Amino acid sequence: MGFLRLEKLNRTAKNLLSIAGIILLSAALLPFRQHLNPTEVSLALLLVVLFASSLFGSIAGLIASAIGIVCFNFFFLPPFYTFNITGSENLVAFGAFVVTALIAGQLSGYAKRRAEESEQRQSEIERLYDELKAAFEQASEAEAVRRSEQLKTALLDAVTHDLRTPLTSIKASVTTLLEDAKPAFLDGKSRQEFLEIIDEECDRLNEFIENMVGIAKIEANALSLNRKLTSVEEIVGHAIERARASIGKRSVVVEIQDDLPYIFADAASISEVVFTLLDNAAKYSPAESTIMITARSAADDHVMISVQDQGKGIPAEMRDKIFDKFFQVEEQNIHRTGGGLGLGLAIAKGIVEFHDGSIEVEDGVEGFVTKFVLALPSSDRRKAASPNEEAKA
Amino acid sequence: MPKRILVIDDEYQITRVLKRSLGAHRYDVRTAADGESGLDLFRDFHPDLVITDLSMPELSGIEVCREIRRVSDIPIIVLSVRGEEQTKVEALDAGADDYVTKPFGMNELLARVRASLRRGPDLDEASSMIEQGDLRMDLSDHSVSIRGKSIRLTPKEFELLAFMAQNHGRVLTHSRLLGKVWGGDHTEQTEYLRVFIGNLRKKIEPTPSRPRYIVTEPWIGYRFIPGS
Repeated sequence: MGFLRLEKLNRTAKNLLSIAGIILLSAALLPFRQHLNPTEVSLALLLVVLFASSLFGSIAGLIASAIGIVCFNFFFLPPFYTFNITGSENLVAFGAFVVTALIAGQLSGYAKRRAEESEQRQSEIERLYDELKAAFEQASEAEAVRRSEQLKTALLDAVTHDLRTPLTSIKASVTTLLEDAKPAFLDGKSRQEFLEIIDEECDRLNEFIENMVGIAKIEANALSLNRKLTSVEEIVGHAIERARASIGKRSVVVEIQDDLPYIFADAASISEVVFTLLDNAAKYSPAESTIMITARSAADDHVMISVQDQGKGIPAEMRDKIFDKFFQVEEQNIHRTGGGLGLGLAIAKGIVEFHDGSIEVEDGVEGFVTKFVLALPSSDRRKAASPNEEAKA
Repeated sequence: MPKRILVIDDEYQITRVLKRSLGAHRYDVRTAADGESGLDLFRDFHPDLVITDLSMPELSGIEVCREIRRVSDIPIIVLSVRGEEQTKVEALDAGADDYVTKPFGMNELLARVRASLRRGPDLDEASSMIEQGDLRMDLSDHSVSIRGKSIRLTPKEFELLAFMAQNHGRVLTHSRLLGKVWGGDHTEQTEYLRVFIGNLRKKIEPTPSRPRYIVTEPWIGYRFIPGS
């Protein structure tokens, strides 16, 4: 703190302090002049010069040197109280003092100046760094806002598309049927088809709403599960039945390990997860391809259920993101993927995690391209022996 | 012989409805689930009209319009969901004649289909007379009459009306009208167009505030309806 206060002094005060330092030291040493040799006195005065130049700069150092030279000569070199010098030893001591005082004063002043400059540069760098950091923070906030806006727009587009597409089929069917009344121009088969389309599209809208509610429940931690010991075989069978329409002509091969343990799960929810995987596998693979479902027990009392397809596959860099909600909306044009809102896998992940399980995607094996793997905690109970099953859907 | 309509949409249920419904109205309908197969079918089927969705995998509706326009002048109606104004404009600039916003009633689509099929081929630009409904324009002496009454138009107003009448029934985008009448550098200056359309309406419409000949297509452009 003392140093800081000294720093705040103006130049005249610094110079006066330097002069006072020399005079005070000279006065203090004067009574002991008989016991001191000129070298000891000159070293003591040099200390003051060094202090003055390092604390107050080179000008103060120079002034301290000049006063020091005068005092040294006047008080400490015989004949005393004159500016004459007698004896070669004293002359050498005086000369050495003059040179040393001037050089040491200038050097320490220079060092101080450099230190100050370096400090200034340091604080300038710190200021620039802070400004840069603030600018980066502002930019990243702006970027986050922009991305959030982008996401909202994409989401709105996707919701619009997913709601309006079934509505279009319904409205076009209904208006055709209404027109049919005045006078009738449709045959029975056409009427039946329009009604079927309306029925299917209503289911599609309902599914869309259920998905939105599902993700909202997962996010609100409000998923109510009715967990009990459940057979994987039953879950898989139910999921295949539900996905039959999207599976179409694709073959579904099911391999369930003998004596597979039951899982402790909400059967309807896990069946929903398997259905989502199956539905996606069908949606993204060729019409005549094969989908393979396997279930086996794994380490740590887990059961692994995997669904493999022969579609185009998922690029490695996207695998981390496909379980994010609205992933398709954010990363790709949803209309171009033919997928839904990108909620299916997010809901699946939510359900599996509620069961203390995990879901991952990896490369397929044995001729398959993509493999989704579910790991769910199993029970200790063992199923009664059941043969491997192979089904063609 | 029934008119042939090609429907291109990646939504299976929509092609299903349109095939059934247009078929019930005695049109010969073929459907395609993407732009690529739509263009293949266009070459084999020789349709009289194409209805295409805008958002499709691989080849978009805009690209489909562009490809068809390279070889044919048949009417194209694009289907789109709301909120795609920019895409609609692009499609119209790429050669589409009309657009219908999803969800639509079949009556609306059928009316657009009938209007587009009635339009027929473009008028011969070398012909000196335009006679469309209530409108008569003589390109050689720049005379115009509407509902039998002669009116005076400035040269630019005349040029604008002639172009719209030659493309009656079609949705003409702001940039297409500006580019045609004022040249390529003015395609963004829609305020020019608004002023001229306003003046034209004052001269030809019975009630300019409720136009029946020059109809505004919000955020897209204008359409000329010749009247009876």
